[in-house]
Amino acid sequence: MDAIKIKLALADVTEEQDPTLKCAKLASLCSALWRERGVELVVVGGSAIEILTEGSYASGDLDLCHANKATLPADERQRVMALLEAKGGPRNWQVAGMYLDLLGPVESFAHTPFRRIEAPYGNILVMKPEDLLVERVLMSFYLGESPTARNCAKILTSVAVRGEIEMNWGEVRRLANLPEYRNLPQCIQLVNEVADELKVKSPLHSA
Amino acid sequence: MNSKSKVPCIPLEGSISWADWLKGRRARRESSQLVAPGVLRRASSSSDRRLRKLFKGERGLPFTPTEKL
Repeated sequence: MDAIKIKLALADVTEEQDPTLKCAKLASLCSALWRERGVELVVVGGSAIEILTEGSYASGDLDLCHANKATLPADERQRVMALLEAKGGPRNWQVAGMYLDLLGPVESFAHTPFRRIEAPYGNILVMKPEDLLVERVLMSFYLGESPTARNCAKILTSVAVRGEIEMNWGEVRRLANLPEYRNLPQCIQLVNEVADELKVKSPLHSA
Repeated sequence: MNSKSKVPCIPLEGSISWADWLKGRRARRESSQLVAPGVLRRASSSSDRRLRKLFKGERGLPFTPTEKL
């Protein structure tokens, strides 16, 4: 991406006042610049949930991981992020009116692909909703009740059962049975509860 | 694409265009609001200090109302 395109894109992201669009556009711009250097970034955490659900959950930081094994040396990261007039580093930057955190290699147990959005400055990879759902169900009860984590699991389920994101429910079952989670009963309970609320058949309904 | 609602679906395989992702925003928000109404943004986190400094006491920009999506 040449300097003029970067400058125009950066101005667009900086001026953007819709938090979800700003997050997606910044992810797109960063992903394009890192991709040119051989590193695939993926949007994770609350930012990923927001892009998939519009659930009014994310705060003003964008969480990214690298999807492949490679990452950039610290000095190269700083050079790339300097193209975006970013402050800080080498893992957290203030850029275009928000924060960007680079968390390290992505952790995913699902065999499904990262979701892909053809965003204005380059494709965005988004964390798999199967991982996000099972993880949020775990977080919702593991250290005491967490209504926020539970609500995140509910909104992921809602958009999936209403056909707005494609979820592999067999994979959700498999993940929830892994030793890392062991929370299939809780996943089934939550998904059934959402399906009941929406008056649709639960995709995790036991035959 | 969801054949029932004609709302563009974020697919498992392949990709969704930017235009279709934008087009689906309102429907996704409405689906989320059906089961978890209101703003779900956490009231605090370890990033509080830097966020509130940048966003004038808030933890991020205000969300666009559903009717404007």
